[in-house]
Amino acid sequence: MNNRLRELRGKHNWSQGDLAEKLDVSRQTINAIETGKYDPSLPLAFRIARLFRQNIESIFEPGKD
Amino acid sequence: MTRIKYKSFQRNFLLAMLAYLVVVLLVWPLARTVPSLPLKVLCALAPIVPLAVAMGLMARRILHSDELEQRTHLVGLGVASGVVALFSTVGGFLASAKLLSLDACANLLLWLFPVLMVSYGVARLWVARRYGIAAGCDDEDETFPTYQRLLGAAGLLGICTAWGYYKSIDSFHLGLLSGTCAGLAVSGALLGLLHWRRRRGSHE
Repeated sequence: MNNRLRELRGKHNWSQGDLAEKLDVSRQTINAIETGKYDPSLPLAFRIARLFRQNIESIFEPGKD
Repeated sequence: MTRIKYKSFQRNFLLAMLAYLVVVLLVWPLARTVPSLPLKVLCALAPIVPLAVAMGLMARRILHSDELEQRTHLVGLGVASGVVALFSTVGGFLASAKLLSLDACANLLLWLFPVLMVSYGVARLWVARRYGIAAGCDDEDETFPTYQRLLGAAGLLGICTAWGYYKSIDSFHLGLLSGTCAGLAVSGALLGLLHWRRRRGSHE
């Protein structure tokens, strides 16, 4: 799955640690999501979308199978 | 759910393990010498208390960790359960075929928990690396790098070995303690060397 998390975080001038704190996850989980090594669960994806006030599908999109 | 800081978990876990070491060295041997049966049972089971505290701390940490951390814990525990099942089944078959003495069976049972913890740690490390994260899943991991933990454990075991030598424990257990201590020290030294080379490489 591809995502725009790094881009959105950059727009808000947040560090990975800042975003991790806002989402109550570890900084390394944010890093794993941004690098595409880990796909977040639906509840976490909703929390991310709510934080950036966007739809889930505008942040996450399915990758090539 | 508020996440638990890795540093505080590590400190409490280390304290529980130290208590375990003290109880095993000082209280558990009394089970062979005290005359009353209830006291014998209490002394023999005393090491379970710090172990239960350590397991409670681990359970609390897993419950309070985020979803990626929980995934790594789950895979680690799954692999560890498989390894322990295999290890105990091998022991069971050997004991049923009367190839193991009662003492050897008791020793085998005592090793189940260490085997569980080691295989859990190794499996978790492997899974964490696949996600590009440290096993602690926390930046505070750098406070105590793995090589320092291994060297610390080797130091503690070294003290136990010296204590065992002073108390003239049997050669099998003395060999086991000193072998494990040496293994940990060598692993710690090798990881420390790699850590030092990596840091030197990043500074150049």
